Amino acid sequence: ALRMQRVEVSIELRKAKKDEQILKRRNVSLHVKDENVPPGQNSTHKIIQLSLEEIVEGVNANSPKLQLLATQATRRMLSRQKDPPISQIVQLGIIPRMVEFLGRADNAALQFEAAWALTNIASGTSEHTRAVVDGGAIPALISLLSSPHMHISEQSVWALGNLAGDGPLYRDALISHDVIPPLLALVSPVTPVGFLRNITWTLSNLCRNKNPYPPLDAVQKILPVLVCLVQHEDKEIVTDCCWALSYLTDSCNDRIQIVVDTGVLPRLVELMASMNLIVMTPALRAVGNVVTGTDQQTQAAINAGVLAVLPRLLRHTKPEIQKEAAWTLSNIAAGPSQQIQQLITCGLLPPLVELLDKGDFKAQKEGVWVVANITTGGTVDQVVELVRSGVLKPLLNLLSAKDSKTILIILDIVSNLFLAAEKLGETEKLCLLLEELNGLEKIENLQNHENSLVYRAALNIIEKYFSGEENSDLEPQTGQDGLYDFSVEKQEFDF
Amino acid sequence: MELSDANLQTLTEYLKKTLDPDPAIRRPAEKFLESVEGSQNYPLLLLTLLEKSQENVIKVCASVTFKNYIKRNWRIVEDEPNKICESDRIAIKANIVPLMLSSPEQIQKQLSDAISIIGREDFPQKWPDLLTEMVNRFQSGDFHVINGVLRTAHSLFKRYRHEFKSNELWTEIKLVLDAFALPLTNLFKATIELCSTHANDASALKVLFSSLILIAKLFYSLNFQDLPEFFEDNMETWMTNFHSLLTLDNKLLQTDDEEEAGLLELLKSQICDNAALYAQKYDEEFQPYLPRFVTAIWNLLVTTGQEVKYDLLVSNAIQFLASVCERPHYKHLFEDQNTLTSICEKVIVPNMEFRAADEEAFEDNSEEYIRRDLEGSDIDTRRRAACDLVRGLCKFFEGPVTGIFSGYVNSMLQEYAKNPSVNWKHKDAAIYLVTSLASKAQTQKHGITQANELVNLTEFFVNHIQPDLKSATVNEFPVLKADGIKYIMIFRNQVPKEQLLVSIPLLINHLQAESIVVHTYAAHALERLFTMRGTNNTTLITAAEMAPFVEVLLTNLFKALTLPGSSENEYIMKAIMRSFSLLQESIIPYIPSVITQLTQKLLAVSKNPSKPHFNHYMFESICLSIRITCKANPEAVGSFEEALFLVFTEILQNDVQEFIPYVFQVMSLLLEMHKNEIPSSYMALFPHLLQPVLWERTGNIPPLVRLLQAFLERGASTIASAAADKIPGLLGVFQKLIASKANDHQGFYLLNSIIEHMPPESVDQYRKQIFILLFQRLQNSKTTKFIKSFLVFINLYCIRYGALALQEIFDSIQPKMFGMVLEKIIIPEIQKVSGQVEKKICAVGITKILTECPPMMDTEYTKLWYVIPLLQALIGLFELPEDDTIPDEEHFIDIEDTPGYQTAFSQLAFAGKKEHDPVGQMVNNPRIHLAQSLHKLSTACPGRVLSMLSTSLNAEALQYLQGYLQAASVSLL
Repeated sequence: ALRMQRVEVSIELRKAKKDEQILKRRNVSLHVKDENVPPGQNSTHKIIQLSLEEIVEGVNANSPKLQLLATQATRRMLSRQKDPPISQIVQLGIIPRMVEFLGRADNAALQFEAAWALTNIASGTSEHTRAVVDGGAIPALISLLSSPHMHISEQSVWALGNLAGDGPLYRDALISHDVIPPLLALVSPVTPVGFLRNITWTLSNLCRNKNPYPPLDAVQKILPVLVCLVQHEDKEIVTDCCWALSYLTDSCNDRIQIVVDTGVLPRLVELMASMNLIVMTPALRAVGNVVTGTDQQTQAAINAGVLAVLPRLLRHTKPEIQKEAAWTLSNIAAGPSQQIQQLITCGLLPPLVELLDKGDFKAQKEGVWVVANITTGGTVDQVVELVRSGVLKPLLNLLSAKDSKTILIILDIVSNLFLAAEKLGETEKLCLLLEELNGLEKIENLQNHENSLVYRAALNIIEKYFSGEENSDLEPQTGQDGLYDFSVEKQEFDF
Repeated sequence: MELSDANLQTLTEYLKKTLDPDPAIRRPAEKFLESVEGSQNYPLLLLTLLEKSQENVIKVCASVTFKNYIKRNWRIVEDEPNKICESDRIAIKANIVPLMLSSPEQIQKQLSDAISIIGREDFPQKWPDLLTEMVNRFQSGDFHVINGVLRTAHSLFKRYRHEFKSNELWTEIKLVLDAFALPLTNLFKATIELCSTHANDASALKVLFSSLILIAKLFYSLNFQDLPEFFEDNMETWMTNFHSLLTLDNKLLQTDDEEEAGLLELLKSQICDNAALYAQKYDEEFQPYLPRFVTAIWNLLVTTGQEVKYDLLVSNAIQFLASVCERPHYKHLFEDQNTLTSICEKVIVPNMEFRAADEEAFEDNSEEYIRRDLEGSDIDTRRRAACDLVRGLCKFFEGPVTGIFSGYVNSMLQEYAKNPSVNWKHKDAAIYLVTSLASKAQTQKHGITQANELVNLTEFFVNHIQPDLKSATVNEFPVLKADGIKYIMIFRNQVPKEQLLVSIPLLINHLQAESIVVHTYAAHALERLFTMRGTNNTTLITAAEMAPFVEVLLTNLFKALTLPGSSENEYIMKAIMRSFSLLQESIIPYIPSVITQLTQKLLAVSKNPSKPHFNHYMFESICLSIRITCKANPEAVGSFEEALFLVFTEILQNDVQEFIPYVFQVMSLLLEMHKNEIPSSYMALFPHLLQPVLWERTGNIPPLVRLLQAFLERGASTIASAAADKIPGLLGVFQKLIASKANDHQGFYLLNSIIEHMPPESVDQYRKQIFILLFQRLQNSKTTKFIKSFLVFINLYCIRYGALALQEIFDSIQPKMFGMVLEKIIIPEIQKVSGQVEKKICAVGITKILTECPPMMDTEYTKLWYVIPLLQALIGLFELPEDDTIPDEEHFIDIEDTPGYQTAFSQLAFAGKKEHDPVGQMVNNPRIHLAQSLHKLSTACPGRVLSMLSTSLNAEALQYLQGYLQAASVSLL
């Protein structure tokens, strides 16, 4: 059996996943009193509304006061709850100027407002992000990480996170500008939780995306900190760490090995068992990725206790969790027979049968793969155990599924079962069992399936196990008396 | 070929000739067209004709010819010449869509098919503008054109329903979605609006509804592989409209036809399919809409009439509800007492009613009625769907549903009681309701296996079923009689035995009913009751309990075969067989009459055998008559031969293929009953049994082998003396069988009988050949089954001819052959041998090889003691867990139970052969035999055996061997 990497086809018909981690975030309404004040109501804090023209003017003015006012107004527009005018702001061409403001170490307020505005511009589309990068923001933001003002370095962390989240290009640009050392330097026992959340999120974006993977040395620098942060008691920090680890493990076996070597697996398995969906989701993904690796890596996940947690996840009410859990199990089942044995010993067959019977369809499909892998890589005894667990009934029911691939895999499973039955001399028994469970009828009907691979597979089973076959070279001729001639050519024998 | 009028004219003439009924004119014309179809412009000439010809018949003919031409030639096969020139291809693609759309429907369909064939090859890469061209027509407002486009799109996209996910496929689907999904959605909305503007225009509505059906089908195809982003975003539009279409009715769309589904039904059916697709695959996203669909679908059910044309819609709709109500997260939709009551009252009860169509089938098409009602081929019926819904609801709401239905059952029974002859259908529905409510799981073999404990089945039986069956008039209310009998049958494991015993004479009485369904059910119910198991694997109902009824049972069963419509009723014949098997010797007094009736029946049906099950049970009954009678009186075999051989000869002479396997089995049974030398009447048949034509039919093989074995057992010496020239033919049969993986075991059965029974000198000259043949199979295509049989055979040979003879013949075929077979086949494979007798033969044979074959002691074969110890393999064979012996299950046998699919219909359980143990007399306990043989060997060469054992066997094996030696009270020297 082959372990399956996460992505099968690169084309998606579906909407992007809803439970993915957020790529870019806007900093919205941090200071409530700034925003949402109904018009006409007197406020102690005077709101200055500027037009776009006034903003351009103010930003380009020489007066630091005007610069601040204009930058603040820009930031405010970009921070409003609904429809921030990012494109319009970008078109004003003021980004280079904002970047320039980042360097005003003498004017912390201006630095902060500019960083905030740039954060929110970078949170838009790729084009918006590009405008920020093209404006030269990368080195400026990185140097702000070391700002003596915590709120400024925190805002830069955020902005950098948005840049990294755009994709591998800017992620690597940040890394080659040496973003990592100053970023990691911000992590300390006294860093406030809110700040740590931002840092962790940015780190996770630096680990994110394939084609290419993030540079190896960057990963090696980040990992020890992630391993440390994943022990934190704050759920958001832990969640983002898990996302980061899930990105690092969604990769080739060498990369998986680096993560396994940190010894973080037991913690990930512990988090997989969390009752909290936002924690459980990325932890499950990370562990699921690890078991796509080598037999040893999979064994490490088994040793960390993954098999004890999976039964509950297979029965989870959320379809996506069921599916991920079943996918994880399918890759464990793709291992050597000892691992399949552990899967059986740990009681995974009953929840698997349940899932095949009444799970969500996406999960059922993965469940079918589990069965396929056990019948490919398992010993005859294990296959017998599988059949005893009652897997056949729900499995054969799925021959009516509205998905050709699933049907084909089930037919492959049936062929595998016959191979095992032949070894036991119980072909006949299996034939009867398939018939009893309405499987034979279904397979016979599949000989009329529109998909040629499906009907050939069905035909093949019917021909091979439900009818006969001849050795024509030994067939006797008919002699002069009209009876069979008894004769044979001698050949060399070597058994 | 030029695009000229002259060519058009010629083509027209040839096309006309292809329609000529006279093959002498038609064939040459077809040939001609084929010969010119490779020419450039040929397809364009056809397109011109189908557009412009004056004669409609030529237009249609040209369009069909064109489609077939495309089908044969469009695909470009690798390494083969392109059969259509490029400029024609371009011209076809440029013109075909508008041409299709402007053609009348008959031609439009052909062109639409052609487009989808071309599309399969060229779309999307080589036909990039097809989609835009089609989509643009949506705005035409001409629904004749729009339907043409939709139909074509449907034939292009429907493959998404069965193809595998792949990058290529999904890229195409994505492209289609980008270009098509939005226009389709807009068209959908516009069409629905037009439906309300034209709500009073019948002909417009018909066209619009045809469009809606196609749109709904396209929706299904486009949503099949995965849930596209577009449709997820527009689920509101689609589902809201689908939902309102489900609830829509318009008198103008109602059809008068009672059988054929109309547009409205077809559309609603497709919408049910679409909803089911979403519910099955995209449950998470569809959840918000599902409750509405549940409501709409049950409202639909409430308002849909009883006519046959609604059957598919109704059963689809009910099945949808049944599949939803079983899911835990939709439980709440059904929970409310009012909801449950209304589903029960308005959906389930009405669809359980016995309709006019059912009544018609009951009377005029009873075979079909029985098949549906009894054997469960009722998947698409309303009753079955309603029954499934009851079961689905009972998963979570067994108590409330049972409660609601109890009320209904009572009131329906009261209605019946008021005026039975008018209201009998109420009772029928009540019984059906009780049945579907009470039965949770069912098999053909055991009836109901799991029942609803809230229903008191016995009480209902005593109060409402038995009274009907006790009525003196067996022909009154036949449907209720059938219901009652069926009730006994399916609840036989729930109703106490004393009630069953009370029912038996009632069932026997109903064998006389005129209604085919009633007497068939009575026979079937008796047959099922007779197969029920009591304690100790015996029958629940004993022969002693049946004693008072033997005569009336047999009389009524055979009389039932004379009732109109039941002369070949398989249920009755099966009941006859089962009765014989149950009653055993108490049928003997009736045998003379029984066998006369059976042979007459046999003679009659052999003219034209048409009911395989009937025939099978008839032969089983004949076998039972023979066995039961001859067991008590062996001499009686002669009178059976006298009664049967005449008919058998006729069957063999007329080559009635269906019956020949049976005849051979009955003859085997008869021959085996003889205690002495083979009668000459059988010997005369021997050469005929070797005829290849008989062996070419797989169904003949097992019974013929069995018969030849009987010949060999009783008449080997007669064959050797009187038919020695037939021995090669006999071995030829063996060779034929051994060549087949399916039949090789039969070849071994035959070979074993030859080796066991034929005098050695009569087969001497063939022995080497036999082994060469077997080795060849072993070398080229061995299977586990073959090896198992092979192992048994060589050990049997060893026992019969001696171990030395075995070694000599092996080594004469090829030097060191004996060692190779032992090392490569016997030792590694011996543990696969199954069956007590088979294992024993192997044990005795191997013991002989070990202890009675001198080369084992003083040639290189000593390695089979030291290096790869044969003895250890033998001990392994002994100490493997034994296969469970098969109990005497013959009485309970069913056709479906007999193994082997090829011979499924020919193997007679009651012609059964007794197990034969060829070493039975020689060796009782093979372990003791081994100990004694080793002892003997050690006496002959003292010291050697002990040293060989101690160096080669592992500790465990040695310990076992010690045990054997002790049990035999011998020790090794």
